[in-house]
Amino acid sequence: MSTAAAGVIDHHHDPSTSTGIPNKKLVMWMFLASDCMFFGCLISTHLIYRLHPPAGAPNARQVFSIELTSFSTFILLMSSLMMALAVNAIQKGNLKSLRASLLTTIFFGCIFLGCQVYEFSHFVSEKHMTITNSILGTTFFTLTGTHGLHVLIGVIWLTAMLIYSYTGRLSEKDSIDVEMMGLYWHFVDIVWIVIFTAVYLLEYIS
Amino acid sequence: MSTAAAAASSHADHGLEESKFQIYVQIAMLLAVITGMEIVTVYLPFAAWLLVTALVVMSAVKFLFVIFYFMHLRWDKPFCTILFFIGLILGGGTMFGLLKLFGAAASVPILNQ
Repeated sequence: MSTAAAGVIDHHHDPSTSTGIPNKKLVMWMFLASDCMFFGCLISTHLIYRLHPPAGAPNARQVFSIELTSFSTFILLMSSLMMALAVNAIQKGNLKSLRASLLTTIFFGCIFLGCQVYEFSHFVSEKHMTITNSILGTTFFTLTGTHGLHVLIGVIWLTAMLIYSYTGRLSEKDSIDVEMMGLYWHFVDIVWIVIFTAVYLLEYIS
Repeated sequence: MSTAAAAASSHADHGLEESKFQIYVQIAMLLAVITGMEIVTVYLPFAAWLLVTALVVMSAVKFLFVIFYFMHLRWDKPFCTILFFIGLILGGGTMFGLLKLFGAAASVPILNQ
């Protein structure tokens, strides 16, 4: 007797596909693999220009605020926890817990975006670093801005899923949709883990 | 499979789901602690290569915990891991190659020499 026949949905395997993996999940993993290459190129570009900063380039250590970035990192890590709990909740068919977890994840995502907007405006108005007046500005704003755009898309997706949960069309058997969204959100988190180290922390090593 | 065996399997699945909640919370706490350690590390008075190595190791540990536990790779089919690592190795390899290429002495821009 299979686990499905026993009345329990197997959330990790799908016997109806040739790979045994739900097609939606497979496509998401392929997308995330391609996004790894995309962010790899953006991070490389930033690091290469940091290897040979031109004369008169702004001092990143004086521009960055490690306190704000550390707070953002902590918030994003906690949002990942809430997202994992949301996936766990839908897999148990617990809609109330799913909604609470999604709402908290959205809240943390918005805090992260708020911190990034504050950071960007602070850099432009106080530190006079824009996307066009220095190579550091160009690579930094392009990299972190692209990541911020990913977070924004994630927040919109999470909000859509939260609204969807109230329509009564989201149940345990649709957990793959929430799991896919979770994979995307965790990916945004792991990209930030790399950015936090490569872009911010390395600047503080003298 | 007998009814008793099916019930045992179902019970085991339920136990796994229950323990997952605790695993997620413990991992989140661990990630927060590692992040704190990373921040402290950059202020330590050690050689730069040692600090960079420590930072890379700590962020790699965080990365792996998230992908294997939060992203369920630990419980999914190995093909998902292979698929993701193809992208990761290509992306990481490109990074490594570009940094080695542009990190060479001959790559220093003429304006900086």
